[in-house]
Formats: sequence, structure tokens, C-alpha cells
Amino acid sequence: MPDPLPPTALSSRQDGILMDAACVTLAGRVVLDHISLTLTEERIGILGRNGSGKTTLLRLITGLIAPDSGIVRIEGIDPFTNRKAALGALGILFQNPDHQILFPTVEEELAFGLVQQGQPQAKALALAQEALAAEGRAHWAKVPVSTLSQGQRHYLCLLAVLLMQPRTILLDEPLAGLDLPTQARLARRFAALPQRLVTITHDPATLATADRVLWLEGGRIAADGPPGSVLPAFTAAMARIGERDADADLAG
Amino acid sequence: MERNLTHIALFAALIAVLGLVPQITLAAGVPITAQSLGIMLCGTVLGARRGALAVLLFLALVAAGLPLLSGGRGGLGVFAGPSVGFLVGFPIAAFAAGWIMERTTLSPGLAATAASVIGGIGVLYVFGISGLALMLDKTLAEAAFIAMAFLPGDILKAVLAGIITQSLARMRPASLLSRA
Amino acid sequence: MLTLTSPVEIWAHRLPAGGKLAALAVATMGLFALDTPPTLALAGVGTVALYASGGVRFASGGLRLLRPLWPFLLIVGLWHLWTADLSGGGVILLRMLTAVALANFVTMTTRLSDMIAVFQTLARPLGTLGLSPRRFAIALALVVRFIPVMLERLTQITQSWRARSPRRPGWRVLVPATLAALDDADRAAEALRARGGAD
Repeated sequence: MPDPLPPTALSSRQDGILMDAACVTLAGRVVLDHISLTLTEERIGILGRNGSGKTTLLRLITGLIAPDSGIVRIEGIDPFTNRKAALGALGILFQNPDHQILFPTVEEELAFGLVQQGQPQAKALALAQEALAAEGRAHWAKVPVSTLSQGQRHYLCLLAVLLMQPRTILLDEPLAGLDLPTQARLARRFAALPQRLVTITHDPATLATADRVLWLEGGRIAADGPPGSVLPAFTAAMARIGERDADADLAG
Repeated sequence: MERNLTHIALFAALIAVLGLVPQITLAAGVPITAQSLGIMLCGTVLGARRGALAVLLFLALVAAGLPLLSGGRGGLGVFAGPSVGFLVGFPIAAFAAGWIMERTTLSPGLAATAASVIGGIGVLYVFGISGLALMLDKTLAEAAFIAMAFLPGDILKAVLAGIITQSLARMRPASLLSRA
Repeated sequence: MLTLTSPVEIWAHRLPAGGKLAALAVATMGLFALDTPPTLALAGVGTVALYASGGVRFASGGLRLLRPLWPFLLIVGLWHLWTADLSGGGVILLRMLTAVALANFVTMTTRLSDMIAVFQTLARPLGTLGLSPRRFAIALALVVRFIPVMLERLTQITQSWRARSPRRPGWRVLVPATLAALDDADRAAEALRARGGAD
């Protein structure tokens, strides 16, 4: 059963994610080229191969970087300049949990986001312990994160994001590098979340149940539609590229 | 702002890690502990202010009770021992190395070697030798004589700091914050 | 992470960390004011009694922490034998051992988190210089978090070197290790920003 979101969350969430002619240039290379889109669906997939610009798109949506030109708005706010509001609107689950975990113990990691949202330290720690107990993992609280397995660290990152109760969560290759039982468990967990999910991946199989899929290629949107039409086209194109041995080409 | 903070913290961790790994064997089979190399790199890579702060952060954790100094030493005791001058000199050495790095236009490798010799050896030894003289009740000349045992290793480390800084400058020019 | 706090809990563990630090500061200054072998020997006996009050296991742990001082014992010992200034050598060594042992005693009986809390209080005046206590706290946590990550990375780098080379990598691992630290710093900055930044 999905947890209900607070009612105030629902109205602002309807504004969704909006981009208008957003461009990003990194080290002289155009990585995102005039991206315009409005995302209001509940389950959104962004599909692309390595170097297509999908990670940059994710950073742009989360407000980790600003566009060189164009506009990015989450629920009507600018996620790069208005960090405080962006935190409540948007959470991000990084591909590699080791790039996300900042604190030595599980409870400190969980409490950090809450302190950032204005909770006092003691209250944040109590809430973190409560959340762990609710997940049947109360014994994790004092454990050093370095002793957790890869799957457990992924799980910790998800829990840390959920504790901050964002209305939209961005998932960067959420299932990559995990064993099959862990993948199945996480996928089930994602499916049950009440939040809007934006999944960024190179793996079409992950997006079969999405409401809408965008295919990113060379910094532009190559296709946009329901998974039934976008996924087969993407798979066929990838197979063609694979046959051409295009790996020898250098970017740039 | 976040980048400043995380660079300082990650280089403090780097100093610790360089003290924890088993001694690094040089080509000639001479083992050295790389910790003071970490101090030099803080200055040559991060620059004066960030470099010194990284070293101070590292020392705070040592004083708080983590055994992060090479050989697994740590705690308040090391600040009451004869090497205290070297510990006091660490952040100032990093600052001096960074300061020189920021102000010369020499190639990164040469500048970093010079900065490491002046900051990581010259400045550091002024404090280290004074500390030895004070704690062991010796004249400065006598204390300097004791400290000379470390000089050959430290010269090697200064050269290594130069080579490593040069490599970083070549592989990732933007990473050299001391020259940003 | 392994700390130097003694696993053998004694009475001094229950004293407040700030008080122990203040007492240590006074005691250390006092030690440097003493300059005759009998008075210093008295201070030494007092310190031994302090350790003995914690039992055999605690005291032997304390003795282990003094081991890194042996080169200085050797140098000073030989020096003063040579110059036939035994009482001078005695003053130096007694003072050194007592001062280090007293400081170690405080470290051994204080939890890391309590000690850091005292440091944060002491560092509070620095807030005016832009070193906010909150940033100090985040930075300390980041260091503790990333030491095991970087140690593991260094092992990986060494292994992938050895997988393709018959020679030991030596200092060469330090270039990728430093690059990795820089990359980690960028990613940690991003993760920090993703969750509200450092202010």
C-alpha cells in the first residue's frame, strides 16, 4: 500500500517539471541542446545510451547545475537558485551509493537531510531511528556505513531520500550493478512509492511500466511517448548501432 | 561553497590514508611513509588556505583520538611528545607551500617541487626543530642534527610531490585549485 | 573506525571531557615548571598510580601507547650518557614520558564524539571567521566517512596495477589516488548540494 502524501503536496506537484529551450555546454561540447518539455506523469522514464546527456539532464532537473541558457522549473520554482524549496520538491537517488553517502554511520546519514530541512539534530536522529525501526532495521542505527553491502547502501540512500519526503524522486540507473533479488526488491519498492518518479537509464527493460518515455540522443529528445512505441524503436536502433562497431568513434 | 568544504575534508582523509597504508617502497627499495607527502600535496593542489584547513581538520581528528598519524599514532599524547613541533608546523607548511604555488608562474611540477622544499621541508623543519629543542632541552643546532635523519626522505617526497602535481596538472588541469 | 579510547571502562570515563582537558592543560604546564628529578619522579609516580587505578589491562594499553617514543628515549639516553649529565637526561625523559602519558590518559578515557563536541565548543569563536560549527561538524564526518572508502580505492588501484605489471606500483599509485580524492570531493559536493548544501 502506498503511503498517502500530505494533501498540500498534491496541488503544487501538478505543475510538474518544466524546461524551455534549456542548453548545457560542458568543456566546449554541447551536452544538452534546446531541451523543452513538460513532465506531469507519475512514472517517467528518460532513456539514452552513454554520453547521450541523460546524466546532465538529471543534474539540471535536480538543480545541481544551472542551464547556460533556457529555463528549468520544478513546481514553478528554479531548482538551482531556490535550493530550500527544491529540497521539498525533489529528491535524487544517485547511481552509486558511495557518491551519495556523506556520513560515517547510518543514523547520521539519515538525520542529515532532516537537519537540512530545519529539524533540530536530536529530533532528526530520533526520526531517523524511528524510520529504521519502521523498516525493521532498528539495529542499523549505529552501524558504520562502510560495513553495509552494496544493496544495503542503496537501500540506505533510498531511505535517506524518502525521509525528506520529496514530491518527486529522480532515480539514476536505480538497478544497475545489483543482484537479481535486490533488483526485484527495489523495483517493488519503487512501484509502491506515492511520489512521482523520473527514472534515468540506458536499459529499456526498466521502463516497461512507465507512463511516458523520453529517448535522449546527442543532447536532444529523439522520441517521446508511451513505452509501447518508444522502447521497441530504441532497442532496434541500439542493435543497429551495435552492429556498426561505432565504438571506435571518438566523441567531439 | 560545498566544493571548498568537500575538498578540504577529502584531502584531510587523503593525509590519513597516506599514513595508514603500509610504507611505500621507492624504486631503490627505500621505504617511506607518505604522510608528509600528503601535507605537501594539500598545499600544492588545494592552495594555501584550503590546504592549511585540510591539515588542521586532520590534526583535529588526531587530537580527538583517531590513530591517524603514520605508525598508528594519535590522541592528545602526540601533542605532548617531542614531535609536537612538526605537528604544529604541518598546517603552516601546507599554507606556505600553497602560498608559493599560487604566486609563481613556474610550470606546475617545478613550482610544486620548490613549494614542497620551502614549505614542506624549510618551514616545517623550523617548527619541528624548535619543538625538538624545547621538548628535549637541546640547543637548536643539536636538535637540527637529530632532525637531519629525516631530510633525505623528505627531499624525495618533495620531488614526488612535484611529479604528482605535474601529473594532475596534465591529466586534469582544472583540478589544480592552487592555480585556479 | 578504531579509536584510541580504551575499551576497558574506568572511573575517568565518566568525567566530563572538557574538565579532563582543562586539568590536562594545567598539569602539563605544571610539568614544564618542574625541573628537578625528585619532583618529576613524584609526578611520574602519580601518573603511574592514575593508570594503575584502571587495572592491569588498562595500564598495559597505556604502556603500548608510549612505545613510539623509544627512538627519543634512545637518543636522549645515549646523549646524556655520553655527556655524563645523567640528572639532566633524567629530567627530560621523565618529563616527556609523564606529559605524553597524561595526555594519553585523557584520550584513553574520553569517547571520540565527546572530544569532538569539546573541540566544536572551543572552535565556536572561529564562526566569525567564516568557519561555522556546522561546517566543521560536516567536514569532520566527511573525513571519517571517506577514510575507509579511500583505503579501499587504494587497494583496488594497487591490485589493478599488479594485475597488469610484474613490478610493485610504489609511489605511482599516488597519482590515481589523489585524482580519486579530487573526484570524490566533487561528487560529495554534489551530494551535499542535492540535500541542501553546507549552510
